[in-house]
Amino acid sequence: MTNIRNYKNAGLALLVPFVLAACQTTGPVVPSSGNVQYGDSKAVETVTTDYGSTDLQTMAEAMARSLSTSAPITRARRTPVLTVQEVKNKTGEYIDTRAITDTIRSQLLKGGGIAFATDEAGMQGQVDELTRQNQSGLYKKSTTKKIGNMVGADYRLEGSIISIVKRAGDIKDVYYKLSLQLINIESGLIEWADEKDIRKTAKR
Amino acid sequence: MVLQEHNATPPDAGRAWPATLATVVAAVMLAGCAGAMRQYDSELGNTMALAQGGQIDAALKKLDENNTGAEPDLLYHLEKGELLRMKGAIAESRDTWLRADETVRAWEDIAKTDPQRIFSEAGAYLVNDKTRRYDGQDYEKVLLSTRLALDHVLLGDWDLARIEVKKMHEREAVIAELRAKEIEDAQAKGEENNVTTTFKDLNGYPVELLEDPAVTELRNGYQSAVGHYVAGFVYEALGEPSLAAAGYRQAIELRPGITLLESGLADLERRGARPVPDMTDVLLIVEAGVAPAWKSISIPLPVPTSKGMIVISTSFPVIRAISEDVSLPVSRLAGAQVEVVPVTDIDVQARRALKDQMPGIVVRTVIRAIAKGALQAETQRHDKTGLLSLATMIASVVTEQADERSWRSLPSLIGIARLSLPHGTHTLQVGGGTHPITVGGRHALVMVKDLDGYVTVAQSPVPAAAEVFSEAVPAPVEAPPVAQTSKPVKKTKPAPTKKAKSSEKSQEKSMESAK
Repeated sequence: MTNIRNYKNAGLALLVPFVLAACQTTGPVVPSSGNVQYGDSKAVETVTTDYGSTDLQTMAEAMARSLSTSAPITRARRTPVLTVQEVKNKTGEYIDTRAITDTIRSQLLKGGGIAFATDEAGMQGQVDELTRQNQSGLYKKSTTKKIGNMVGADYRLEGSIISIVKRAGDIKDVYYKLSLQLINIESGLIEWADEKDIRKTAKR
Repeated sequence: MVLQEHNATPPDAGRAWPATLATVVAAVMLAGCAGAMRQYDSELGNTMALAQGGQIDAALKKLDENNTGAEPDLLYHLEKGELLRMKGAIAESRDTWLRADETVRAWEDIAKTDPQRIFSEAGAYLVNDKTRRYDGQDYEKVLLSTRLALDHVLLGDWDLARIEVKKMHEREAVIAELRAKEIEDAQAKGEENNVTTTFKDLNGYPVELLEDPAVTELRNGYQSAVGHYVAGFVYEALGEPSLAAAGYRQAIELRPGITLLESGLADLERRGARPVPDMTDVLLIVEAGVAPAWKSISIPLPVPTSKGMIVISTSFPVIRAISEDVSLPVSRLAGAQVEVVPVTDIDVQARRALKDQMPGIVVRTVIRAIAKGALQAETQRHDKTGLLSLATMIASVVTEQADERSWRSLPSLIGIARLSLPHGTHTLQVGGGTHPITVGGRHALVMVKDLDGYVTVAQSPVPAAAEVFSEAVPAPVEAPPVAQTSKPVKKTKPAPTKKAKSSEKSQEKSMESAK
């Protein structure tokens, strides 16, 4: 009898966390007066034809997949080092192309086999830190990172995004194309290039 | 013009007339005292006259005297922020405009979630448009973001300027979506009430002000070339060329054919790749004049009623430029004449905004006129003494005034120049006065405002440790924004001139002369 009761208690103890976990995933919820709720960040977003989160994710994922299986990456004898350059925004929209390349870089780094050198945007921070360590006199010599040991990239990743917008009556059609290319810095050869396009149409 | 096609009398007008009369009277009593009777044009005229004479403190006092209500409205904060900036109190100007921005953001939330609430404010149908809560003209909402961004830059905070710039283009998207829906709504209401009148049908309305090619050529009434050029400049200064490109491209599309705007985009890559050492990329923004006044024009409208045709006095807004002749002041910087190119004309932009609003205004006014006509007819039928009929007619005329409210301390004309200056102090000559300008780092902003000869100058602070490798430990340097004023000096040699009531030809000519 005692054993049965113990089993029941143990079962209850196991069940309760699951029930609670099902109700709350990120901790207590503060009640709000507004109609605020969390959504799936990967859900397909079709609010307007403007460039949106789904476009960013679709383009970045397609490019990361293509680049990770490209010859310069898979056939490299040692871990290839890339630097990301600005993806030129040739659309009329305020598209933060750095968000695209950041996502591509994150996905490639998760996959492994690629290293990224500090890019132009991060160079100021890198230089500031090296300068601080070497010239401020605040750091132990043994832990100070030496100036002149930064790794130069083998390849640079660059590209552009364009859009073509057409309107006729109450129909709006938008076409986006992201083009990326991987250039061997020493030889100047383009060793990989790919495109990802998206078409969105809306009817008022 | 006879409104024969309209639904002349509501089917139950006879039974409902006392209720309708009560509603109108109540609306007049409730709204008329404050909103409907407020003469904003003359009110702000006095304030701006003081500002033009350089008496900014007196202008601020006057503004406060005219806004003694418990809760200052959007317009109060817009005007006050502008006056504070003219005074050189940039931080106070920013804080005041941030309060105005709270109101605009609340409006944006409604526009995104419940646009019908904006379209169907019943007060405007019963009394007049002045009874609606003032949410700001669309171009004012967008310019508020631009001016907040400029204030942040003048205070040396480019990251906060970036937030305002982003808000600006997101706000434009909200406005575009809302106005598209509003046009559909106005069309539906027009069809529902058989209103086919357009502003071109209004006898006595100055149609040419809205049909000016300078007005019709604008893409819309809320986007400004200067706003997007500033966006491009801020993004470029923060090392974000992909976003800067979009800003410069938008500016070019809004004002095509201006070399200065085109070179912003064409030279973007070169400027980023090869910055010139010890040189600062300076954006000079020059503003002149005050924004045009929205005035009310009365137009009698014959409407059919159960007692035949009755002429109802209606009113519509028109935009009149404050000054016939606004010009950007001649500027010399570091010994050389600066070519300041006019890129945004608020007068033209306001007229375009009005042109786009007119379909909705006409529908609302005609529906109101029909209701008033029906009310007058019913009153006459029931009123034995004639006194009530007289009172109804007087109330109808008195309450019929178009909305005159607008952000009047905005400039009339905005021009820009872009130049590369060596680090150090230079002399800016403008409007007969001289002002020291100190630049350092990669980017700087200098703003000049000329209010009928009263000139104020402000500039972004020189950043500390601006150069790569130059400082071991960056130490913040307090460099408050320079905001100087000069005594009112009349311009002797006006630069590119634009006639406020200009035709396309004169506009083009003024742009050409500025190149």
